[in-house]
Amino acid sequence: MCKVYVTGMGMVSALGIGVDTNRDALISRRSGIGYAKHLNSLLRDQLPVGEIDHATSELFRFLHNPGNLQESRLVLLAAIALQEALATAGMPLNEQKKAGFINSTTVGGMADVEYVYEQLIDPSIPEISADLGDSLDCAHGTEELARHFGLTRFISTVSTACSSSANAIIYGARLIRGGMLDQVICGGVDTLTRFTINGFNSLKNMDRNHCKPFDANRNGLNLGEGAAYLVLESEESICRTGRKPLAQLSGYCNFNEAFHPTAPSPDGDGAYQAMKGAIREAGLTTMDISFINAHGTATINNDIAEAFALRRLFGENIPPFSSTKSYTGHTLAPSGAIEAIYSILSILNNEAYPVLNYETAMPEVELEPVTEVMYNAGIQHVLSNSFGFGGNNASLLFSKYD
Amino acid sequence: MVSEETMQAFYSANMIKPVYIRSARAICAQDTFTGNCLPKELTDAVNNALSYNHPDYSRYFSIMQLRRMGRLTKTGMVAAIECLRDAGISHPDAIITGTGKGSMSDTEKFMGNIREFHEGTLNPTPFIQSTYNSLNGLIGLHHGTSCYNTTYVHRGFSLEHSLLDAMLLFSEGRAKNALAGSFEEMTPEHFIIKKKLGYWKEAPVSCMDLLRSGTSGSISGEGTFFFLLQDSESNAMARLDGIRILFEPTLQELTVEAGRFLKEHGLAWADIDILLSGENGDIRFGDYYKTISAEIPERAHHLAFKHVCGEFDTAAGFALWQAAHILERQEVPDVLQLRKGTAGNIRHLLIYNNYYGKQHAFYLLGV
Repeated sequence: MCKVYVTGMGMVSALGIGVDTNRDALISRRSGIGYAKHLNSLLRDQLPVGEIDHATSELFRFLHNPGNLQESRLVLLAAIALQEALATAGMPLNEQKKAGFINSTTVGGMADVEYVYEQLIDPSIPEISADLGDSLDCAHGTEELARHFGLTRFISTVSTACSSSANAIIYGARLIRGGMLDQVICGGVDTLTRFTINGFNSLKNMDRNHCKPFDANRNGLNLGEGAAYLVLESEESICRTGRKPLAQLSGYCNFNEAFHPTAPSPDGDGAYQAMKGAIREAGLTTMDISFINAHGTATINNDIAEAFALRRLFGENIPPFSSTKSYTGHTLAPSGAIEAIYSILSILNNEAYPVLNYETAMPEVELEPVTEVMYNAGIQHVLSNSFGFGGNNASLLFSKYD
Repeated sequence: MVSEETMQAFYSANMIKPVYIRSARAICAQDTFTGNCLPKELTDAVNNALSYNHPDYSRYFSIMQLRRMGRLTKTGMVAAIECLRDAGISHPDAIITGTGKGSMSDTEKFMGNIREFHEGTLNPTPFIQSTYNSLNGLIGLHHGTSCYNTTYVHRGFSLEHSLLDAMLLFSEGRAKNALAGSFEEMTPEHFIIKKKLGYWKEAPVSCMDLLRSGTSGSISGEGTFFFLLQDSESNAMARLDGIRILFEPTLQELTVEAGRFLKEHGLAWADIDILLSGENGDIRFGDYYKTISAEIPERAHHLAFKHVCGEFDTAAGFALWQAAHILERQEVPDVLQLRKGTAGNIRHLLIYNNYYGKQHAFYLLGV
């Protein structure tokens, strides 16, 4: 089967705009979690989140060519990340026009719509803007971006909750391997919304303090927002363009666990199967894995299930692992792509990023995540986990390009 | 004008093998569920809306369960259950769905609760069911099936990607069968939003007059469709040779790509026995359909379907369900005929659909 390479990447998160800014924050252990300034929710003084430090109208200035892009937080965050991904790949416009675009999101344009929704459904107000009326779905943003960047050849949008962009990346890789496309831009975007923060609050799995992944006293997640995209290319495309890959996407696996509508099974069977499948797909063994960017949301259920899955799959030889959700918050759809980029940064810089706020090992499984930056860490293969609502689990495996 | 040869192909699907439809189920405004066929008596639209004809859910779930289930959770679960039962498969190798809008009634309910209770303590059920992939998870849960599972949410490409994904899985040898389908609903609130955006006709129109109305707008519909796809021919209703999706093509790109699509499958326009197309009575998009129907031979039947199921993001699901039954029974329902042809033996059926001129899709089916 043909190899799939990553040749470009771009991102925005609570740690800042751009891949380099994000890496700087990770190695200086600087968290992006705090109380929101821009989110219009009564809960914003109670629940810390990973918010991007710019009002929506300010985001235009980060775009070289804002064109006719809508003043939508979702669209602008994604556009900033896409601009960087395409620039790092050095992809000329004529190639962009041939590439596929697989986006993902969990609530689409909800942030733009929820404050004006009453007007939208009021029959006495006959005129509404098409941008707002049509944007309460997941495809609206994808199409805005596709038109703006000329990525209209083959477009799709995935929504599988917290594993959305991991599944977008998997679909992109499979479209390349299936011979349908040579180049695909894959990733995801979500913004903080009143809808989502109330949704997770109703599930009672949000921490009122900074989240503590894999800690015995963890008490839930912090939500975040962001966008991240990877440029994937086939082996043939690399040979033709001569571009040097940043890394290889060597393995991936989507495995849905039929256990509970929102919670993982206590023994983490879904997580186990997803990680195992990704390693097998790459033709590697558990001994080859240098580092794991865990899902690690810091919810009671996820972290123990993921820890049991790690123990079951790796036995006594669990590789160093960490969760960057303690920096960015849980960004939902883009989290898989954001953490894919962190995994590739680990490979490129031979370093591993630590978890923040960790103090005490979980008594059920004695596992210690990485708590200090590891340099010269001998990183060859990094596993990145995204486990979602509805049992939708996905793991990606990135390998060093020699 | 760009010549056909120099016009770049949208993409190629040469390596993707045909797949087979083993079973197909539909729940929509017409009673397509009871006999798994189009009924003789058709329901007409009320104020330009065709709404679900609901099956008797109490045969499947307790009153307590039903109370918690949203409309689409009910239609989706029951259509999936019967589709798998028809195929005699309880544990599919993959569950893949597409939906443009997901469960809007749950989304709206949760938005309403946020306002009403001032972001206080809220019931999480509508939030959970508003998640686009919740139905996939529940189908897996109901059948005790842990497997490949994903959800596409791209308007008029949602079902298409779920089917393409299944076709890729078979080509990769990762699955031998897959439950793929789509689900969509219309709510009073969303009807108002879409009305303001010009999606519906101004004056009420009868379904039978929809396709010759000569005005803009269509009638809204709802539908849930599930298909059991498999990689082998045994006991299949029909063969799905391929799918082609095009985003906002020009008329020229549309015909060139359609021709290429047929050619990739060793066919020419003259081989098409039935064109089943998505005319929705909105004159703004009539040219696309005219351009494609002008290509089919005299003997071919030209059928339409949206006057029966209404317009919605994943209305192509109705066409695919209907196509599988036409190919299996070798019968063409009169109520769908736009132009009766002479073709008796139906070997190749082409579906062409677009959703308000943006997402265009072709499906090639055969026996």
